[in-house]
Amino acid sequence: MEKILEIQHLEKHFGDHVVLKDISFSVEKGDVICIIGSSGSGKSTLLRCINFLEEPTGGEILYHGKNAETACKRTIYNSKVGMVFQSFNLFGNHTVLENCMLGQMQVLKASRADAEKRALTYLQRVGMDAYRAARPAQLSGGQKQRVAIARALCMEPEVLLFDEPTSALDPEMVGEVLNVMQDLASAGMTMLIVTHEMSFARDVASRVLFMDGGVIVEDAPPQQLFSQPKQPRTQEFLKRVLARQL
Amino acid sequence: MNVPSTFFGWVSFLLDRYGQLFLQGTGITLLVALTGTILGFVIGLLVAIVRTVPLPKGPWYRKLPLKLVHFLLNVYIEVFRGTPMIVQSMVIYYGSMMIGLIKRGTPVLPAAILIVSINTGAYMAEIIRGGIISVDKGQKEAATAIGMTHWQAMVHVVLPQAVRNIMPSIGNEFVVNIKDSSVLNVISLNELYFTGKSAAGNYGRYFEAFFVIACIYLVLTFSVTRLLRLLERKMDGKKNYTIYGSQSDSHSSITVNEEEA
Repeated sequence: MEKILEIQHLEKHFGDHVVLKDISFSVEKGDVICIIGSSGSGKSTLLRCINFLEEPTGGEILYHGKNAETACKRTIYNSKVGMVFQSFNLFGNHTVLENCMLGQMQVLKASRADAEKRALTYLQRVGMDAYRAARPAQLSGGQKQRVAIARALCMEPEVLLFDEPTSALDPEMVGEVLNVMQDLASAGMTMLIVTHEMSFARDVASRVLFMDGGVIVEDAPPQQLFSQPKQPRTQEFLKRVLARQL
Repeated sequence: MNVPSTFFGWVSFLLDRYGQLFLQGTGITLLVALTGTILGFVIGLLVAIVRTVPLPKGPWYRKLPLKLVHFLLNVYIEVFRGTPMIVQSMVIYYGSMMIGLIKRGTPVLPAAILIVSINTGAYMAEIIRGGIISVDKGQKEAATAIGMTHWQAMVHVVLPQAVRNIMPSIGNEFVVNIKDSSVLNVISLNELYFTGKSAAGNYGRYFEAFFVIACIYLVLTFSVTRLLRLLERKMDGKKNYTIYGSQSDSHSSITVNEEEA
């Protein structure tokens, strides 16, 4: 399979505090990779380093085999590696439709008509096209997150990064967002998902990475990682978490 | 000459004689305050945007130019917030006369507008910085994450919300400028206070003349605050929105009105 991203020996420290140590893995087209681990294990930082919201302090990220920092402009790279945030981060001064059009028009230089057409297509896909005229403040959390996913899809990214997309949602709204993500996965979207939803990871992921203390402890298909974890740290984490969730 | 004997007699006498002049002074005051606030806003906006540009990566000499600009902008803000406008007017006006930038007898209006703008700009820079901080930084990150540049994110996402949030403070600045442009009488700008002083001095009726002037200032500031309130409402946009389509009929639509809900 074609490798879209290769993370090589990635390091990140804030001052003396080391958050990521020698992280290496690659993302192939169509992969759905869930990253699990306890809070503070560096999952979100890893995701934020991949699209340079945080500057890595060491190592390299390859995008189609070339250094992501020099191969193309940062803005183009960012539009190809989309991100969905825990706190949605919709643009408060724009309607739902405009939220999905702004990036297309500003970054991809799409015409207003094309941007609107594509925005409506993706809003429909996440079931939010009826709310195109609403403002973010008028939506529920689950609706906001679905719009945020549509906004990211409008850039036609090659990879979508999800940073705990359901952690800020009421339990009853988690399902609607996970359903949208599951649909994307089955449509072949390449996704990298930081999540605490173990059942989602087990059912949807093609690979699961378990992180602890800034390193990837285990990288395996979900069946293997959830039923026969090799590392003692993974076993311990799963024992604590699965007791509550599954 | 028939000299009035009562308070109201003096007021109507002064209005009769100086009404035209007061009106002219009102015009000058409004002009200086309005253009000063708008130009000050533009200055503040530019200063605030430059001050939020992140420092470039790399060795110290790549950071130096921007650091220097940041330093100079800080000096500007500190100096103009830290000295009274009345003193600034004297220094700038007579200073530029001394170095030959303007001659004795050239109109003071441009100089007055310049002084108010620069002074307001220093305050606005801080107000706008506050406005930028008030917009959740996640939105800036989201804009960056879909590939927008710092400038695009600022113009299309952060600043519109920042400006909305600081509208009350901008209103404050405008009101302050209407009142404080009166200090420009020290460089003989014929604004409202200056005209009041001329009228009062001619007949020695200070209370009556300045009573009239006070009323005019109050009318000005009150109408301005009302107008700004209206503008704020307009910026907030419609309170209702439409939901398009339903499961049975894709062409139906419902309008949700939040004020009723």
